[in-house]
Amino acid sequence: MPIHEEHLIRPENLKTQEDLVIDGIDVSGHWSTFIESRVVTDYNEALEEEIAALPGGEYIHRCWQCGSCTNSCTVNEVNPDFNPRYWIYLIRMGMESELLRDKEIIWQCVSCNKCTYACPRDVVPEGVMKATAHWLELKGHTPKSPSMVFDEVFTEQVIQTGKIEEGRIIRSFFKRTGQELMQDWLVEMVKRLVAKLPVTLLWKMGLANVLRPRTSGWAGARDAIQDYVDEKNAEHRKALRLDELVELAKQEAKPGQQMAAE
Amino acid sequence: MTSKPVLIVGGGPAGLAAAHGLATIGQKSILVEKEDRLGGAPILSGYAKLVPSGEWARDAIGGMVDRVEGNGLVDIKKGITVSEFSGEPGNFTAKLSDGKSVKAASAVLCTGFTHFDSVNKPEWGFGTFPDVVTTTQVEQMISSGAGVRCPSDGRKPKRVAILLCVGSRDRQIGREWCSKICCTVSANLAMEIREELEDCHVYIYYMDIRTFGLYETSYYWRSQEEFKVKYIKARIAEVTSDGDKLIVKGEDTLVKRPITIPFDMVVHAIGMDPNVDNMLLSTIFDVELEPHGYIGKQTAYGTMGATSRLGVFVAGSATGPETIDDSIAQGNAAAMSAYALMHGAVKAAAE
Repeated sequence: MPIHEEHLIRPENLKTQEDLVIDGIDVSGHWSTFIESRVVTDYNEALEEEIAALPGGEYIHRCWQCGSCTNSCTVNEVNPDFNPRYWIYLIRMGMESELLRDKEIIWQCVSCNKCTYACPRDVVPEGVMKATAHWLELKGHTPKSPSMVFDEVFTEQVIQTGKIEEGRIIRSFFKRTGQELMQDWLVEMVKRLVAKLPVTLLWKMGLANVLRPRTSGWAGARDAIQDYVDEKNAEHRKALRLDELVELAKQEAKPGQQMAAE
Repeated sequence: MTSKPVLIVGGGPAGLAAAHGLATIGQKSILVEKEDRLGGAPILSGYAKLVPSGEWARDAIGGMVDRVEGNGLVDIKKGITVSEFSGEPGNFTAKLSDGKSVKAASAVLCTGFTHFDSVNKPEWGFGTFPDVVTTTQVEQMISSGAGVRCPSDGRKPKRVAILLCVGSRDRQIGREWCSKICCTVSANLAMEIREELEDCHVYIYYMDIRTFGLYETSYYWRSQEEFKVKYIKARIAEVTSDGDKLIVKGEDTLVKRPITIPFDMVVHAIGMDPNVDNMLLSTIFDVELEPHGYIGKQTAYGTMGATSRLGVFVAGSATGPETIDDSIAQGNAAAMSAYALMHGAVKAAAE
């Protein structure tokens, strides 16, 4: 019998035998369809603490599941599967496998912060979404998002020189994300800049690109900021047990390598 | 003015409060307790730390016992029950189980409740699997100093599930009432477990959380924020075992997902049944029971703790699920009612 509301069921849980005869009766196709139930078989007890250890996730423990965040959400209006309330619950209860099913949508948060103002418990759901997207990247479940790459390029330059030079940021960003530098819109923008801007300004911009000016006496600040960033990164790696996981992956890989060597 | 004493039946928090209250205003009482010691459920069942004071039951209720036991105005009769009760307000006669009779001006029933017997919910594994225990047993593990351990082999549990509403809010077994205290008691126990066993995770499975009033912050949120206790909205279908761990099955209703989770220990947050003796008490004292089987009481606007029979009062969890603090308050209130009756105030008001 055909299943009504089939769209509610994840395709991999629909089991159909294309060729099945039971007691001489052909029940191939949809006659043999059954739905496999999705069962949560364990909790990851560390999950909430891991998210809470990342910037933005600090107040996740306050959530009481009222759904104000989801109701006020900009993205939810476009994509009903985008449900911060639900993910916060999964994280708090440690249902990691369920959370990972939605890894392709979680990063879509546009940081409008409507949820931040709607939340009666001051959970800062926008921060939790940011922390969760970050968590997914750090754990290797999702590739680095373009915005994360941009942040890195930007931050590296600020830390190095104490200044930002837009031309170089764009170039590094395009390079790291594998994009062509000569993009039509960029070429057009540069053409118009050249046509309209005063020559002295263009000259200064060109020079800045070549000479890489720094804020004077920046070295001390640079080292201090770098130390702080390293310290925070190390904290996050530790909270997420990333080094342990890398070690574990290495050990698991070893027997395979030996076999290959033999 | 009469010199007859007030008969208090039951030596738990309500009865102890009533006896003490009457003694402070110079009124004699007879305190009849069927067990061989005073203190009621908190002492007899070995409760650990009480809500909301955080004091050990043996200290808090023990203190109440001490001040009554040392008081000359309270005639304590332990290991005794009332078998017959007759007469009029101001002139009752109670026949006791030791064959003696006593005169009393009025009576206060502080006969308490009975813990729900989890065997009546066999699908949750109590009586089948040794590591399925009740909140009372966990209280005893803590109060005895033994610590929270799996009864099967004495190991420290790594993961504990507390199931709420065991014997409460359940029409299947004729118990429609909310036992009122179990949510808060469970949150309290969860925190005590987390305090003793740092790497033991505690999950509370609930239908609704009723940590009423101020307990919202000090139990519900404190258990989550400080002690990382997890609350999962699920009514558990069954507790089984794979031979090693207990397997808890149910549906997490907030994510519409069936769950099958292994646990080391499952705790039933058992409810408060009407005292198993209530039918008998109802006959002996000629007082009506309310529909759930607790001793019925009149509205509070006239006389606190009045039953269907003039001169017989009721206080504490004999009237329905009640907290210890409120039982104590009701014990005092009923004592005041009994005293007022003796002085004719109630009678005069009725006329």
